[in-house]
Amino acid sequence: MSNLNFVGKSETRIEGLAKLNGKAIYPQDVKIEGMLHAVTVRSSVSHANFTIKDKQAKKIKGVKVLTHKDVSGKNEHGVLFKDHQVFASKKVRRIGDPIALVVAESISKAKEAASKIEIIYNELPAVFSPIYGMEDSSPRIHDEKSNVITSLKMEKGKIDFSKCDYVVENLYETPMVDHAFLQPECSVAYMNNKKLVVITSTQYPHWDRYEISNALGIQEKEVQVINATIGGAFGGREDITSQIHAALAAYILKKPVRILYGREESFLAHSKRHPMIIKTKLGALKNGKIIAMQNDIIADSGAYASWAPNVLRKAMVHSTGPYEIENVNVTAKSVYTNNPFTGAMRGFGATQVAVAYEQIIEQLAVKMELNSFEIREKNILRVGSKTGTSQLIHASAPLGKCLELVKKNMAIIRQKPVSETALTGYGIALSFYGTGYGNGFPDVSNNLAKLNKDGGIEIFSGFTEVGQGAKTVMAQIAGEVFNTSSKNIVVHCEDTDNTPDTGTAAASRQTYNTGNAVMKSCKKLRSLIFKHAANDLGLNNDIGLNIEDGVIYLKTLPSKRISLKEIVTNHNELICEASFTAQTTELDEFGQGAPYWPYGFNAIGVKVEIDPESGKTSVVDGVFAQDVGKAINPRFIGGQMDGGFSMGLGYALYEDLGLREGVMENKKFSSYILPTAKDIPNLKKIIVEDPEETGPYGAKGIGEIVTIPVAPAILNAIYDASKIRFTKLPVTPIEFMKEFKNND
Amino acid sequence: MKIKVSINGKSYSKEVEGHTRLVDFLRDDLELTGTKEGCSEGECGACTVLLDGNPVNSCLILAVQVDGRTIETIENIDEDLQTIQKIFLEEGAPQCGYCMPGMVLSAKGLLLKNTNPTRKDVKEAISGNLCRCTGYTIIEDSIIKSAKKLRGNHE
Ligand code: FES
Ligand code: FES
Repeated sequence: MSNLNFVGKSETRIEGLAKLNGKAIYPQDVKIEGMLHAVTVRSSVSHANFTIKDKQAKKIKGVKVLTHKDVSGKNEHGVLFKDHQVFASKKVRRIGDPIALVVAESISKAKEAASKIEIIYNELPAVFSPIYGMEDSSPRIHDEKSNVITSLKMEKGKIDFSKCDYVVENLYETPMVDHAFLQPECSVAYMNNKKLVVITSTQYPHWDRYEISNALGIQEKEVQVINATIGGAFGGREDITSQIHAALAAYILKKPVRILYGREESFLAHSKRHPMIIKTKLGALKNGKIIAMQNDIIADSGAYASWAPNVLRKAMVHSTGPYEIENVNVTAKSVYTNNPFTGAMRGFGATQVAVAYEQIIEQLAVKMELNSFEIREKNILRVGSKTGTSQLIHASAPLGKCLELVKKNMAIIRQKPVSETALTGYGIALSFYGTGYGNGFPDVSNNLAKLNKDGGIEIFSGFTEVGQGAKTVMAQIAGEVFNTSSKNIVVHCEDTDNTPDTGTAAASRQTYNTGNAVMKSCKKLRSLIFKHAANDLGLNNDIGLNIEDGVIYLKTLPSKRISLKEIVTNHNELICEASFTAQTTELDEFGQGAPYWPYGFNAIGVKVEIDPESGKTSVVDGVFAQDVGKAINPRFIGGQMDGGFSMGLGYALYEDLGLREGVMENKKFSSYILPTAKDIPNLKKIIVEDPEETGPYGAKGIGEIVTIPVAPAILNAIYDASKIRFTKLPVTPIEFMKEFKNND
Repeated sequence: MKIKVSINGKSYSKEVEGHTRLVDFLRDDLELTGTKEGCSEGECGACTVLLDGNPVNSCLILAVQVDGRTIETIENIDEDLQTIQKIFLEEGAPQCGYCMPGMVLSAKGLLLKNTNPTRKDVKEAISGNLCRCTGYTIIEDSIIKSAKKLRGNHE
């Protein structure tokens, strides 16, 4: 792995300049002659049967109202179960369920017409807590189906807390939060001859194509999804929002139609992070070795399942933390309620459980009078350890190194002066994260590599550039194979018509999975090119050939050379395709198996200051060590670490939807508080490399794990400063003062 | 009513309605779609433009209010702006990019007034620009580097 020329370099972002000079086109920047505008009529109650009165609106000239009756295919969508309706037909299950779409020549006209639509609700008893939802007597949300969507268990060994010298337990509750990507959803759809084209921002264009065709009752090949620039996603662009509505309107009216959400509608439309109630119990021997853990997790799925079974599986598997524990017993359930629906969000269940496991281990350390590092050093996963599912961590597990680096740097941070007025505390946290869909599901990526007629290299794959840098990273991987800069690789990833399906930009799987498909297809193409070159140069075989900036030459006699351009002239365009499927196994009835691979690891340490007058917590210093396998683009990794830190900070201290009885009170940026530049401390970032043999050039994905340890580290630091153990997030100044006063 | 306004060094004389927001005037009437809209309530800064050199949220201003004044948007071809954009690119500041036009203009607005800002000044200047992706640090680094480069250029 040592002789890499382009992988490992911080090449600049391919689409970077366009994002800086305003030329990048997001869906809301698309304007088509004669484009109509549509607004969505949504339910204002949480659980009700309804009837719609839309005669008045329909009478207005130039206005078209679409409801479930206009859905020409199946009135359904959903990533795992088809439990969403394109338009609610009889019943609404949450505030924000789409009931109708009003199309007109201008937004104001569409809004005016929408205001004339009357929805008459016959309200039903509603469920706002998963605990209540689980009860036999609770109202059913999806017909007669049980509200319990998933009930999983993981059992290893036999837990017996009576054999433990120390036992700690607690109940942690994590909140529902929003992705708050900065670009609100927008879709523009139009007919191009017989083809229905939908321009949108999605994490998975090929999936959207399927969902649209299923709802419209047309074939997938009649639909083309084009991904414009995506203004952030974080899991919030996996479930359908505006895509089917825009497609249906354009298909029926045979005119271009745009749907653009404002911020509040964006909050209403997309999924949220699952809130979880986590009961956790940990037991250890006198020597500090943890030997038993029990976790019971209950998650609120809201009105729709989205990814609930997969999120809960990930939560369950990761709920032990990155520790080797002989005896483990975990249950995990997700439950329908009439709250906003929850689905994928950065960390996908593994973020929530870290709030519990990294605090309970700290409680254990306090009880045993061990420091935060000692307790972890005795228990962390290392090469040769087994996880809670008995999966062998056989390689690429530098958690010990991450911990060591944080320990060293926290010692330096501790020597810096402390505030005289604030309460000061230090806290650390570790995490791990398994890549991919997992559980034996065919996690497939595809790529097509092409030598084009100009002698250039192009790659074609349906991955998405959500901001993480996938375009550049894939081009760097291809560039490494052809020994050239990413700038010389033409990347096609936006269009379902010219790219193969490569799965979602999710589960931290693109660098690892699709990166492998890109590498494999490019290597295949290079072999083919070398064969032709050997032939054209009159060599016996292709041994000893090298390629550099578009020229193939014999290493021992560089004058024997031929350009890619000449190869094309002699042999026409060349195309090679390759596929990569991650290796995982399905969990057995005891939740045992190898559900994810590879695992990534990290460690973080922070220093906080709490103002005892106002209760405001500030993170003022920190160190973050991240295992990456091999860094393809170190600068992008730094950017992910900063961004993940900021998102974790918001989770710990600020972000609160104000959810009461199904109503989100805080669905604007003036009340849903995100971190600003002023909240971000000087964070020392350390990239730890330990190449993963199955990764492209040794790389693993890191897009999600960078958020996971942040909140628990901050909570541990708050405990260190105040001796208050917060079991609920966010720790706002008000929440802090409540407990602080009680403690006095 | 008719307004006269200079945008990116070009003067426009246009008929606008009294309730048209500046962001809509720029994006819809002039098709300058580099200016973004993220919240419509003055909280996110994605719609930042420079009004007589000062960063403002174009979602909170009416087009009629800029009559007779000078506006700079991200599309401007200007040496300083391009220097800042280039440094943002080299440092690796943009991720999804949606906040970037606003960030770059807030940066330029700061550097017009303060050629040698501290990190605290920089944080203050972009505290009205939300970014969900980057955690701000590389943006701050880019602005500090831009200041240095512009000082050199202007010497
Ligand atoms: S759109 Fe103007 S401040 Fe957010
Ligand atoms: S780069 Fe995505 S919001 Fe700033």
